[in-house]
Amino acid sequence: MAPTTCFNCKEARAVIIRPKNRHKLCRACFIEVFETEVHETIIGTNLFFPGERIAIGASGGKDSTVLAAVLKTLNERYNYGLDLCLLSIDEGIRGYRDDSLETVKRNAVQYDMPLTIVGYGELYGWTMDQVVEQIGKKGNCTYCGVFRRQALDRGAARLDIQHVVTGHNADDVAETVMMNLLRGDLPRLSRGTSIVTASGGSDIKRSKPLKYAYEKEIVLYAHHRQLDYFTTECIYSPEAFRGSARTLVKDLEKIRPSSILDIVKSGEDMAALVPRDPAAAEEENTGGCGSQNGRTSGGEMAAMEKQLTENETAEAHETEIQLPQKNTKNTIKNPKAVKSQTLGHCERCGYISSQRVCKACTLLEGLNRNRPKTAIEVGMEDEEGSSTLMRQMERTQLTNS
Amino acid sequence: MPAKELSCPCMDCKDAETVFTVRKRQLCSDCYKHFIAFKVHRRMEMYRPGKTQEVRPKVLLPLSLGVSSSVLLSIVEAQLQYQLAKPYGKIFFDLHVLVIDPSSINPSSASIDENYKVLLETFQLPTYTRLSIHDIFDYVPNMKEIICEYAGSQFADDSSLSNEDRLSAFRASLSTATSAADLDYVLLTRLVAAVAQKNGCQSVFWGDSDSRLAARALAGVSKGRGASMTWQVSDGMSPWGVRFEFLLRDLYKTELLQYASVSPELSDIVISDPPLSDNVLTKNLSIDELMIRYVQNQGAKYPGIMSNVARTANKLESSCLDGGASCALCGGPRGNVKGNTGVTATTQSGDSEGSRFCYGCMRSRPGLKC
Amino acid sequence: MAHSTNDGAAATISITVEFTGGLEILFSNERKHNITLPARLDDASQPTIAYLLQHLVDNLMKDDRKELFIMEDNVRPGILVLINDADWELEGEENYELQQGDNIVFVSTLHGG
Repeated sequence: MAPTTCFNCKEARAVIIRPKNRHKLCRACFIEVFETEVHETIIGTNLFFPGERIAIGASGGKDSTVLAAVLKTLNERYNYGLDLCLLSIDEGIRGYRDDSLETVKRNAVQYDMPLTIVGYGELYGWTMDQVVEQIGKKGNCTYCGVFRRQALDRGAARLDIQHVVTGHNADDVAETVMMNLLRGDLPRLSRGTSIVTASGGSDIKRSKPLKYAYEKEIVLYAHHRQLDYFTTECIYSPEAFRGSARTLVKDLEKIRPSSILDIVKSGEDMAALVPRDPAAAEEENTGGCGSQNGRTSGGEMAAMEKQLTENETAEAHETEIQLPQKNTKNTIKNPKAVKSQTLGHCERCGYISSQRVCKACTLLEGLNRNRPKTAIEVGMEDEEGSSTLMRQMERTQLTNS
Repeated sequence: MPAKELSCPCMDCKDAETVFTVRKRQLCSDCYKHFIAFKVHRRMEMYRPGKTQEVRPKVLLPLSLGVSSSVLLSIVEAQLQYQLAKPYGKIFFDLHVLVIDPSSINPSSASIDENYKVLLETFQLPTYTRLSIHDIFDYVPNMKEIICEYAGSQFADDSSLSNEDRLSAFRASLSTATSAADLDYVLLTRLVAAVAQKNGCQSVFWGDSDSRLAARALAGVSKGRGASMTWQVSDGMSPWGVRFEFLLRDLYKTELLQYASVSPELSDIVISDPPLSDNVLTKNLSIDELMIRYVQNQGAKYPGIMSNVARTANKLESSCLDGGASCALCGGPRGNVKGNTGVTATTQSGDSEGSRFCYGCMRSRPGLKC
Repeated sequence: MAHSTNDGAAATISITVEFTGGLEILFSNERKHNITLPARLDDASQPTIAYLLQHLVDNLMKDDRKELFIMEDNVRPGILVLINDADWELEGEENYELQQGDNIVFVSTLHGG
């Protein structure tokens, strides 16, 4: 087969086919186009202001490594005037995090950016290794996710930085759209696609400059620029390959490569069609860890199914009693409909929370009381042993919107 | 009444043997049908005549002769008969049934001539129209121009051909299974809406089960058609001034199959679903079929979650769509939905701006192999 | 049908295969592998990527979780294949005929970042 020439420069050998428009590009043109599109996203959304200090949430993985590399390039090329630094969370997982942190340390040198590492140990008094020692491997992802959420904010606050950027890409956004549709979460459907999410938990701004970048292009960008990134699965998350929404999105991409951006498009449109609830502020997604952010799992689906079945049964009884002449409007009761919540501060740690005590402190209380919570099975396929606590956890996650 | 010896009596009438268990209730076949029909009646409540109502409304029911729409017809017709049978009985609305010949969409479908004959004999209250999909050229007069503009250079229209051949030439120009299934649905919807308009119908009663609506919502979102969910999955006003109602949205496909199995009058009317092609590679499926499979597989394990999908889509507000430009082909909104400005997926895709067609239709147009 | 030629039967080609993005854990944690394949298969055709996939699963993959690499007899969705640095879609995907010295890279996009 004769080599294909680049759609852009018509000279060099094409090495990639872009998912969103099937353009065939050479290495140099691809890198250029990729960077230009991120630049256009940044400019078009007024994401930064000159002199702004930005913390890049860096895990050592492909997304945050590409984000750091692109932001450094763009900052220099277009004189954004940004003060960039890397912020990493050390969950305290030996053999996983030590290695990825070594990658981040190398990145700090390669990109000439200061690096701050905040540890779960110093923030919470518990490393993930210690958590797992206490509660076992099942359900630890919940702890990790809740702790991580606050850790980035707390790390940024420590650095006196108001804006954290993360490496979430178009695939992540698409998965979140599908997942929110599957679990009927309208408020998250209305927010999940926006590039900036004011973190409910603090006044620190969160944004995702790569939200229109296909994961495939991020991986290829890293490959063609030979970026140094770390790629081993979290040792406590052996089931991470699964996940209903994620598998579905990957299947879709196989059928129609553009579909990831198409889902983002649908998500943005539907977000504008979600009925407005003025009081719908809340804490962010707490499920799973950063690398699994927005990914649903068998355990979560099973728990939700159970609740829906209970609702359904309740509804059936209700309609039986009220059989004649019932108003058709709103006969379908959804007990999980949008509930507005008042935000206050956690009375233990001061972090903004809709509960009296924030989730992190609630989990910590359990750990500190040395009471194993083995029944939390978020992230696992196992459907047995759902305890009250698990249902509470799920409910918080599902209704907290 | 002397008590019968029943091994497992129906929970409702306590007078017959349980045949089905539906949502944890054990029911005999009559009570089962009652239960199912009630879920439909509830959604028909808004067609109860009001005091001030002068003209009796007219409703169009598109019938594919598949299980779902046939069960819907059976329930709706029975309800109208019930209304008529009351003293001074009057029906709440006039019912017109549209049968679109499945063989005009899928050439491998068997002839429906016999089924159609039985249909007319069985349900005598409605009026009927029988059409083929290519009759869209007669019902939507500018459809030929729209299709030519849409397909661009990939499709050379030949005006000497029959409607049927022109439409098949257009369909043949669509390069992927996803685009073909997508456009079939668009054209079918246009035809149904146009027939409804021409017959003075205010509403269309669609026969999509909960499972089908869930699959449509997931597929629509995957194809960039999220904004059209307000009338493709939700009950509400369609872009053609005709209300779309999905009366079977509370019922699973399996429940409709069970209903049909105890409704002998349907046995010579219903044609069986075309089997899902088995053992094909995922990448050769259409997105619509992938989602039908997904809902089928996941629905076996998580039926509640699947019905939640359609329920969630039904909560979106179509009023937010008012006033924007609409797509010449599918009727959906073009560009960004109100409120979305600046950088969006629309601007990122870069190919649907300035066109008469929406994002979703541009993704399916001929020649685009993605 | 062409009659079989004996002179080419013993000839082989060597290629390099790389696994990144987390796939290396399925292949003894080794990123780079040198692979030798027959230049002609029994039916006189040249080995393709499809042949290579089967070869890798049968001979190189120590992990039992084949489904993490192969699905529906093809590369699992979410794994990119680069043939001499180019997206395999540009080269005919699984029907690409392997050449002496080719470099084939499998990159998983499925892992966190």
